[in-house]
Amino acid sequence: MKITFPHMGNVYIAAKFLLDGLGIDYVIPPLNNKEALEIGTLYSPEEICLPFKIMLGNYIQSIRQGADTVILTGSCGPCRFGEYGELQMKLLNKIGHNLDFIVFDMPSDIGFDELKRRIKKITDASPKKKHEKYMALMNAYKIITLIDDLEAKAHKLAGYEINKGDCKKILNECKKELLRTNNPKRAIEILKEYHIKMDNVQIEKNRNPLKVAIIGEIYTIIEPFSNLYIEDKLMELGVHSKRTLSPSWWFYNTVILSPFGLTAKKIRKSAKDYLPYGVGGHGQECIGESILAHEEGFDGAIQIFPLGCMPEIVSKSILPSVSRDKNFPILSLVVDEMTGEAGYQTRLEAFIDLLERRRNHVLSRS
Amino acid sequence: MIVGIPKGLLYYKYKPFFHTFFEELGAEVLVSPDTNKEVLDMGVKLCVDEACLPVKIFHGHVAKIKDKCDLIVVPRIMQIKEREFICPKFCGIPEMVYHNIEGLPRITKSPIYLYSIDKFYNWAYDTGRMITKNINKINVAFERAIEAQNHYDEGIDDNDFELKVALVGHQYNIYDDFINMNLIKKLHGFGVGVITQEKIDDEVKNNEVKKLFKRPFWTFAREHYGFVSCAIDNNLIDGIIYLSSFACGLDSVIIELIKNKIDEFPFLLLKIDEHTGEAGFDTRIEAFVDMLQRKKRKRGEMA
Repeated sequence: MKITFPHMGNVYIAAKFLLDGLGIDYVIPPLNNKEALEIGTLYSPEEICLPFKIMLGNYIQSIRQGADTVILTGSCGPCRFGEYGELQMKLLNKIGHNLDFIVFDMPSDIGFDELKRRIKKITDASPKKKHEKYMALMNAYKIITLIDDLEAKAHKLAGYEINKGDCKKILNECKKELLRTNNPKRAIEILKEYHIKMDNVQIEKNRNPLKVAIIGEIYTIIEPFSNLYIEDKLMELGVHSKRTLSPSWWFYNTVILSPFGLTAKKIRKSAKDYLPYGVGGHGQECIGESILAHEEGFDGAIQIFPLGCMPEIVSKSILPSVSRDKNFPILSLVVDEMTGEAGYQTRLEAFIDLLERRRNHVLSRS
Repeated sequence: MIVGIPKGLLYYKYKPFFHTFFEELGAEVLVSPDTNKEVLDMGVKLCVDEACLPVKIFHGHVAKIKDKCDLIVVPRIMQIKEREFICPKFCGIPEMVYHNIEGLPRITKSPIYLYSIDKFYNWAYDTGRMITKNINKINVAFERAIEAQNHYDEGIDDNDFELKVALVGHQYNIYDDFINMNLIKKLHGFGVGVITQEKIDDEVKNNEVKKLFKRPFWTFAREHYGFVSCAIDNNLIDGIIYLSSFACGLDSVIIELIKNKIDEFPFLLLKIDEHTGEAGFDTRIEAFVDMLQRKKRKRGEMA
């Protein structure tokens, strides 16, 4: 069994060390790139959302490197993500690739026994002892939390750094170095070292950078390729950016908290006045985060979602009201395989310009 | 009190219920007109670009009657069957309407769960209270409305035609003659009869979807896939016409599931949005019907 998995932000780092810890063979698909998207678009239904297409490209690139099993998290609605496994399996079959899919659906949908059976498929492939398997899981969780935190720190500090580009450089170096080791313990050490490095970046504390929250559909905001590296662009512009949704956030809220009905409680509560019911995906979270960002003193928010994303279309209808009521600028960006970089960059820069001017305007008045 | 009902989305499926319920409560029911160019244009203008045609048209219907009534019914249908969903947009439709259209009267926002009579009653209670304080009246109206809905004979099953196609798609596309540019009439004109999914028993459809790897979690996916699958296996039809609106999230998946199932079976996908021209639409239908006729003749010669 040679396992592969689709790219979703930093997930590949945690998955790598989980499988390292379990002693299972794996292939990491090449980091998302144009080719993956092109292959995926070629074989996907035309109107399916962007993440589907990129993921399909990931699998095919992994197959070329010998992968035969895909691990995927799942859901049972109402958003299309839940149907990915079934469709992708059939599409790959049609073009002559026979991949085994192991889909982790919620136990409430498929039953505990079925979930256990699916997990067993993976753990059986591992030669390690039970407590080692447990340790592998704990380490992977630690790693994803550390890398997500490091990333969040970089996005924040980029607004304050004295030597432009420091934060981005440290973040990228850290990711590169992580891929050079196969030892989960060593990975944790590396991450801790880089946290210290990041903490020691020379900053100008009194600077008051623009603060922007990134909200929207989870895949397109955590996967930099799909959003044309918006966070890197913001770091270059010296903007302090924040994004609540991340793989570790997802794991904590969806896997650990959801059996108790506590998922994203604060965010959902904030959304109540505008969208009292969940609409699937993270549509309600999107509204809640925009309101929280405003309360936290951010200058604006950017919503990103793939074309045709059903829950985000609902939130896009509501965001203009939030923006008007709170006097809080929100930009909506829609991405698909046809999104052009130039137009995207222009819109982003224009939005940042607007935030800057608003600020000067407010200051001059006071 | 005048209650406005927009003639969009699942109106065509649940009209007996809504009419009976509000009439029994003593309200005057005002239904928006059949979809027309004006309704479409208003909807397109008011709704976000990314939404699908039926959602845009629903906005148009609301806008059309908003000044003429005291309450507009915006059904937030969350679930029709247990552990199934319909579409995320239905869960947020009152908010979409509320935030997109200015100058609205009161609208209904209570969620509808159709799989349990108790949960469904919550909607009736919340909504009924907006009209009357008399609980007994609400109870009676609710019961009569459900009865009316249960006696509603939905769907089409033509018998006097040489050819027959399965007409698949959401009710709001299939039964709105403006959206589908009189598709059914056109097919009849070509000598093609139609069968729709309501005419196949739910039980039969459920058995068909059990053959899939994953339980479809959308009611429409289960119905459409199960319908096509059963119609082909039982030789009920000569071809399939799938009527879909551009950017329909569900259809992008359901069509793929169906295509995987049918192999070489004649299949026509008609996609519509606010820019669809009628001439091209007609040509495609004609070509498809031609093909079906040729096939039938060929089979006849060989037999």
